[in-house]
Amino acid sequence: MQDLGRAALVLAFGLVVYAAVGGGLGAYTRRRRLVASARNALFTSFGATAVASIVLLNAFRTRDFSFAYVAEHSSKALPFPYVYTAFWGGQEGSLLLWLLVLTAVGSAAIAFNRRLTTEVLPWTVPVLGAVASFFALLLVFVASPFATQVAPADGAGLNPSLQNPYMMIHPPLLYLGYVGLTIPFAFAAGALLSGRFDERWIVATRRWTILAWTALGIGILLGAKWAYEEVGWGGYYAWDPVENAALMPWLAATAYLHSVMVQEKKNMLRVWNATLVTGAFCLSIFGTFLTRSGLINSIHSFAQSPIGAWFLGFIALAATFSTVLIIWRLPLLRARTKLESLASREAAFLYNNLLLVAFTLTVLWGVAFPLLSDAVRGEAVTVGPPYYDFFLKVFGLPLLLLMGIGPLVAWRRTSLRALGETVLGPALAALGVGVILIALGAGSSTAGLLAYTFSAFALAAIVLEFARGTRARKALGASSWWSAFSGLVARNRRRYGGYVVHAAVVLLAIGVAGSSAYGATKIQRFRPGDSMKIRGYTLTYLNSVERHSANHDELRARIAVTENGKSVGTIMAGKNRYFAEDQTSNEVAIKHDWLRAQDLFVIGDEFKIRKHAVTAVYLKVLVKPLVNLIWLAGFVFLLGSVITLWPDAREQRRLAARTEPGPVAVTP
Amino acid sequence: MRLVIALSVAAALAVFLLYTSFAGGATPSLKPSQLAGHRGKLSVSGYVLGPVRGDPHAAGGLRFKLRDIDGPHQSVRVPVVFHGSEPDLFRAGRHVYVVGTYNGASLAATSITTKCPSKYAPAKS
Repeated sequence: MQDLGRAALVLAFGLVVYAAVGGGLGAYTRRRRLVASARNALFTSFGATAVASIVLLNAFRTRDFSFAYVAEHSSKALPFPYVYTAFWGGQEGSLLLWLLVLTAVGSAAIAFNRRLTTEVLPWTVPVLGAVASFFALLLVFVASPFATQVAPADGAGLNPSLQNPYMMIHPPLLYLGYVGLTIPFAFAAGALLSGRFDERWIVATRRWTILAWTALGIGILLGAKWAYEEVGWGGYYAWDPVENAALMPWLAATAYLHSVMVQEKKNMLRVWNATLVTGAFCLSIFGTFLTRSGLINSIHSFAQSPIGAWFLGFIALAATFSTVLIIWRLPLLRARTKLESLASREAAFLYNNLLLVAFTLTVLWGVAFPLLSDAVRGEAVTVGPPYYDFFLKVFGLPLLLLMGIGPLVAWRRTSLRALGETVLGPALAALGVGVILIALGAGSSTAGLLAYTFSAFALAAIVLEFARGTRARKALGASSWWSAFSGLVARNRRRYGGYVVHAAVVLLAIGVAGSSAYGATKIQRFRPGDSMKIRGYTLTYLNSVERHSANHDELRARIAVTENGKSVGTIMAGKNRYFAEDQTSNEVAIKHDWLRAQDLFVIGDEFKIRKHAVTAVYLKVLVKPLVNLIWLAGFVFLLGSVITLWPDAREQRRLAARTEPGPVAVTP
Repeated sequence: MRLVIALSVAAALAVFLLYTSFAGGATPSLKPSQLAGHRGKLSVSGYVLGPVRGDPHAAGGLRFKLRDIDGPHQSVRVPVVFHGSEPDLFRAGRHVYVVGTYNGASLAATSITTKCPSKYAPAKS
């Protein structure tokens, strides 16, 4: 079976190399049949990659430990769904998943846009082929998932912290996000290569970009939820290099999604957009590299993974290629319109972009700092969470404020007086919220107070936008308020879907500010009967219990919880010990208070055991106010994205009318 | 106009970055053999040498030694005293990343991050 898998990968490699080389040649010499065959090769490479993936999945299903990869990442006792998710538990499987998603999404994007961009497409296929060639090359020659060995009696098992439902969906979503960002890059590069850099490639890739960006965003949130519930140190985001790896392309893509609107509307910022989309793509590759190369926690493993150098080389190649391309096409990209006023919608987008890009670069600087300082001073220096937290405030708070102001500013120019009038309502709302919060004692954290106040401002601005639009439609003759509202959203899906996403960001900001600036933490040693008071909760340790299951032992402290004198039940916090993997994992207890979106979070930190009996436990107890708004934000984010992504027949017709009579915008 | 904004923001950013990375917030990340001559807050990545003694929650703390993971200076040993929550994967023989304060003789650690030796696993302390 390994031979079939290897053969499928070799075939896939050949096909994508052909798509790159043959497609490039075909596009250059304008030979239609060669272009068509390159496209078909890209489509077929998906089939070949799928065959290889099925072979590997089947090996996991049958626990065929003669596959070294299967033996390393699963075991006989590994329960049902995790046997399949072990597919991406290691480096080789992750690369295979990358290639599978890339060929699938790339083929779909090509197939869907076949008519829309006939000039750009022949150049897009070779770019996609070249990216796929890199991953196929790694899979065939460097990190094959089909390495053979004499089958051991049992496998090494899957890391217990990955045996969690969130880990079944989190990695594929991140990969969908990373890979999805290849699509706008490939179309942008195709547009540059073909010399037709009008806004059509943006229209063609808009939905793909939003899809990738949504997947990445939801993936990051699911990872945070996993860290919160499974890793169990009491937080959800630790500015770990691997977490930052996903955040950076997301931030860059967020900037790009905003700035393309300026290009679509005003034909400005074309160089900027080409640069941003390249940056987002390179960051997504860099993200995969960070995740897979072992640059985690310790910088000393940096050069040890054979795959790291390949990735760095590829990133350098992609960045050089894009830079040369953009400089070569610079005459084409010059804007013909200029920024008319610093108080305009386009300027607001520009500020948003500067802040987002600055934050992205700050995170990148922090991630790369150990390597840079090692190279410059011969001594690696790491920057910790305080660095990131500081810059999150420096860039995040103005962004939050800008999110409220931006939508209220008119295109081209706004007089400061008109701006003042529209901003007055939300500003008063924010001021009111601020005064109430200070009265309630939220002034203990300035950043928290600012975050809350700016959130109120942004939320009020969103509500105002919806209200104004609905009122206008009602005045124009909508039969009811509801039909006015639904018509408003249906006719401007991108705009109002975007506002829903803004609301999600506000929820996220409130959740992050609440749980980080206003939380409480306590550690205490408990003997049976001991209790602790924290923020109105009283926790009493009852006893410890042990349970045995198929692949692990469980040790739990039973804790009775009362809130303001009323019992709210018993919770269990402790540890699991996994046999095959020889590892323990924290299993935390979380008591949700849905009404206040607050969590009581208990870690069974340490069990004192004497003569096989637990004599005492150390419990770490955290109260995390408003933390559940972060997860709620995920649902709202998804809702907003779905509204934006939903197919719009009217828009399709508009586009068809604009693009079908052949090349419209003749480039000079 | 655009250029002016971009340059001013970039300049402000550069100042901020230099300030924070060289004045505060940043900690040197060293091997045990490089500790000599350093004082204060820093981080060390190394190999845990047993025996691991004590209790991370007691006044005496959890006590162990660190040496270089590889290279020529593996004979240098640094005693570590740790207070806090012991990470799941911590034990003798593991590669760890320790943050703490060094007084010239021993490292008072406030956080330990274990690195899974064989495969990718984010372990947080």
